[in-house]
Amino acid sequence: MNAIQIKNVSKQYKDVMALDDVSFSFEYGKIYGFLGRNGAGKSTLINIIANRIFADSGEILIDNDLAKENMNVHEKIFCMSEVDLYDTSLKIKDHFKWIEKFYNSFNKEKAFEIAEKFNLDTNKRFKALSKGYQSIFKLTVALAIDVPYVIFDEPVLGLDANHRELFYNLLLKDYEESENTIIIATHLIEEVANIIEEVVLIDKGKVLLQSNVDSLLEMGYSVSGPASEVDAYCIDKNVIGDDELGNLKIAYIIGKKTQLSKESHLSFANMNLQKLFVKLTEKGGN
Amino acid sequence: MKKLKSIIQYECMTSFKYIWMFYAIQYLSVGFISIGIGLVLGNFDDIGTNFLEINTLIYVGILGVLGFHDDFKMLIQNGFTRKYIFIATISMFCFISGTMAFIDTVVANMLHYINSGYLSLYSSLYGYENIFMNWLWLFLLYVAFCSLLYLVILVINKVGKVISIYLGVIFGGIILLVVALFRYVFTAEVISDILKLFMEVMGFMANGTINYIFPVLTLLVFVTILAVGSYTIIRRTELG
Repeated sequence: MNAIQIKNVSKQYKDVMALDDVSFSFEYGKIYGFLGRNGAGKSTLINIIANRIFADSGEILIDNDLAKENMNVHEKIFCMSEVDLYDTSLKIKDHFKWIEKFYNSFNKEKAFEIAEKFNLDTNKRFKALSKGYQSIFKLTVALAIDVPYVIFDEPVLGLDANHRELFYNLLLKDYEESENTIIIATHLIEEVANIIEEVVLIDKGKVLLQSNVDSLLEMGYSVSGPASEVDAYCIDKNVIGDDELGNLKIAYIIGKKTQLSKESHLSFANMNLQKLFVKLTEKGGN
Repeated sequence: MKKLKSIIQYECMTSFKYIWMFYAIQYLSVGFISIGIGLVLGNFDDIGTNFLEINTLIYVGILGVLGFHDDFKMLIQNGFTRKYIFIATISMFCFISGTMAFIDTVVANMLHYINSGYLSLYSSLYGYENIFMNWLWLFLLYVAFCSLLYLVILVINKVGKVISIYLGVIFGGIILLVVALFRYVFTAEVISDILKLFMEVMGFMANGTINYIFPVLTLLVFVTILAVGSYTIIRRTELG
């Protein structure tokens, strides 16, 4: 099976259950949004996939090969990290030189081209770069590696709007050419909403939902109006949250809409991905 | 194998460049200090230094610590397994130790040729007769020192600061216990036998001859134990 298969993965840090029996798959050839609040378990799962930490139980398969301590998956997956793991004393051009030796699929010329587009000075050492340019360097490496699965963990951290736009353009161009699997773990949901095809939502170490973005947005809607009418409408519906202002109420629902009567004072509105995310994850936190 | 070659190359080449800086600083310092003291005393007759290899031991010790801290993160980011990282790190220790042992052996023998009073670490124990064994012994001593510090830093990283302090206290306690055993418990005969054994593993035989192979074998066993210990820990090490 061409996929990253996550099978019953659990990970505990002292008294915190970071991942609790998580099972799902990232299928080949799709762009995923891997969403979750701070501490939801996103980075923990990414680190386990990338063999940086170990699961307490369960396993991860990449195209049917175990991800744990297996050099066979080296040319299959690349993970761009939010944290800085690169040798800070090396120059960017030297990093490119070494990464070309490490990965058969790293295109050094492409890396220099991308660096030029971002105005990244390849003669500078990693530690001499600003936070934004350190992120750009990491993005550049990830974009220049042609492996089936590329994971971006908070890819646009510290990037200005122009650079973010450039990154998303390059990412989509790359995807059109290679159709590799791209997994974007981010908090900036609205920015990636138009890019991602599938969404995996994780909260408190459990997968809340995995769905196609279009069908999810079709299923999610809000109904607003007088509180009593909204409450009556919501009976037997899958209400994921609500907001109240005086006598007015907005309820957020996943499911099919029911036809409203002509006398009804209620109105429907579509829900965007960010609102859906907030409502699904706001219980138990702010 | 191509991947393994690339990671070994990375480890060796990124560490190799600092060797020249180290030797330049070392010899400039020795030179300046000698000239300074000579000018103050008014003559250069009794000015000199011994055991320059101690400086190299400090350098390779730092290398052992950094061998984990910086390179582990970098290599795990680049998708390498812990087994590959371990092999590359040990290869780097061997490469750097071999190179530095060669330089130190050549320099020590040259200094001895110019000034017969100069003592190197090896020559003070075994003399200047066998240059190859001098290099081999020094090489293994450096690898052992790198590996020891590498193991220590792996243990600290694995168990955390507090438990490391407890382990340090326990280790100190064991040393005190051994001293107490020698002083109050063991008989003179037992102590004599232990010292005899210790001297023999260091190559000093009971009949007064020197066995050059024994100290090398002893260091080799020591390096193997440290390497096995390091590998046992690193294969369970997670990115912090």
